[in-house]
Amino acid sequence: MDGRAAMRLLSPAFFIPLAACAGRQSPLAPAGLQAEWQHWLLMLMFWVCGIVYALVMALLGVSIWRGRHRLAAAPETSPDDRRLSRGLGLWAGMIVAGLTILILGSFVVERELAGERRREALVVRVTGQQWWWRIQYRDPAGTGWIETANELHLPAGRTARIELGSVDVIHSFWVPNVAGKMDVIPGRANAIDVTPHRVGWFRGQCAEFCGAQHAHMAFDVKVDTPAEFAAWLAAQARPAPAPSGAAVVVTNGPCASCHTIRGTAARGRAGPDLTHVGGRRSVAAGTLPMSRGALQGWIAQPQALKPGTLMPAVALTGAQIDAVAAYLESRK
Amino acid sequence: MYFSPAALLLALTACEKEARVIAADQPQTSPRGPQDPRAAAYENNAYQVSQGGRYFSWYGCGRCHASGSRGDLASAGARRDLPHLYASIAHGHTSGARIPPEQIWQLAGYIRSLPRIDPARRKRQDRDLRGEPQGPTWTGALR
Repeated sequence: MDGRAAMRLLSPAFFIPLAACAGRQSPLAPAGLQAEWQHWLLMLMFWVCGIVYALVMALLGVSIWRGRHRLAAAPETSPDDRRLSRGLGLWAGMIVAGLTILILGSFVVERELAGERRREALVVRVTGQQWWWRIQYRDPAGTGWIETANELHLPAGRTARIELGSVDVIHSFWVPNVAGKMDVIPGRANAIDVTPHRVGWFRGQCAEFCGAQHAHMAFDVKVDTPAEFAAWLAAQARPAPAPSGAAVVVTNGPCASCHTIRGTAARGRAGPDLTHVGGRRSVAAGTLPMSRGALQGWIAQPQALKPGTLMPAVALTGAQIDAVAAYLESRK
Repeated sequence: MYFSPAALLLALTACEKEARVIAADQPQTSPRGPQDPRAAAYENNAYQVSQGGRYFSWYGCGRCHASGSRGDLASAGARRDLPHLYASIAHGHTSGARIPPEQIWQLAGYIRSLPRIDPARRKRQDRDLRGEPQGPTWTGALR
């Protein structure tokens, strides 16, 4: 590589992608206990490995520089063994020290992540499906489960035990700001504890290739204050009023075969619960931002927006689609 | 090594959107008579048959048609061809009108497959289908 190429590599343009390393889907901006431990381990590895790398480069440079200046002199036929073995001993000692620091750091972090926090934990069930997330909370007022989809709300400062299940293929639950990844495996009960403490919106994503729309299997994560969370959960528990006019197809037409709207005749379980769909941030697991137009488009032509989705295009008129979209958008 | 800007720009020619077929594999209409060629495409395709099985549990067909029960459809699958099964799903059930055509094709394909599979495999298949989301009593994925 010549000097000009090296300069180009160090130009500001090269660093622009690094600007994406902070924000709502990044392990470098931790917002929870587990993510902070993992970030700490990442930094430990970065510094230990970085220092070793810099040291190797510096010694290599010194030996090249010395070698060039000695070429003129006669080659050394009997090098000083004592100095060489002392140097090698020192080097081996540094390798052992570096690896010991790394492995101890790794043990400490694993111990923290696997720590028992079940007693005070809020249990949330998350079920992966091609290509969306079913999310269930225990009803604080009863014995049942409150269901929502593609939007995970968590109270700040309290550990949530996320029980993961899959009804079809292997998925992976990944909200880097809050915790690491955990695979979602059909037929197996996996769980991950998360203790978020920074309030805000984050983004989760399926992190195991699961089919055509793997990329559109995202979800929003909102870390609320405990009071906000309690209010949100109480609002989610409320049933919806029945639709009127042309929107009744949502409870007595094709939509009801797969979707539930609590409080109405729509009781299908195959698709996401729509009781409070209008209050969510996105349509179709992060495919489109929530709006009446997005709902209309999604109902009219789901295969055009998310090819391969199991949501079928159903025979509804434009007026019916508009009425259904208006009804769903009002379900905050 | 030297990267010329022109060579880098050349890579951008790959940025054109790929052509995608977003329609279903087959036309979305009910069967045109008993000889409809789409029947073979549904009953001999493993994906279509397995999708049919999923809809079978999603729509609660197993409540009356569970395997081994009086409503078991294995004999109907052996006796009737796919267009007949399509008609009895679409018109013989009140909820049939709610189901889009492609799914009825797949359901009929699944029923056609039932007599062809041996009992042990049918048992495994039924156990898998119990994990599919269905009805108000469903409690979650198989664990």
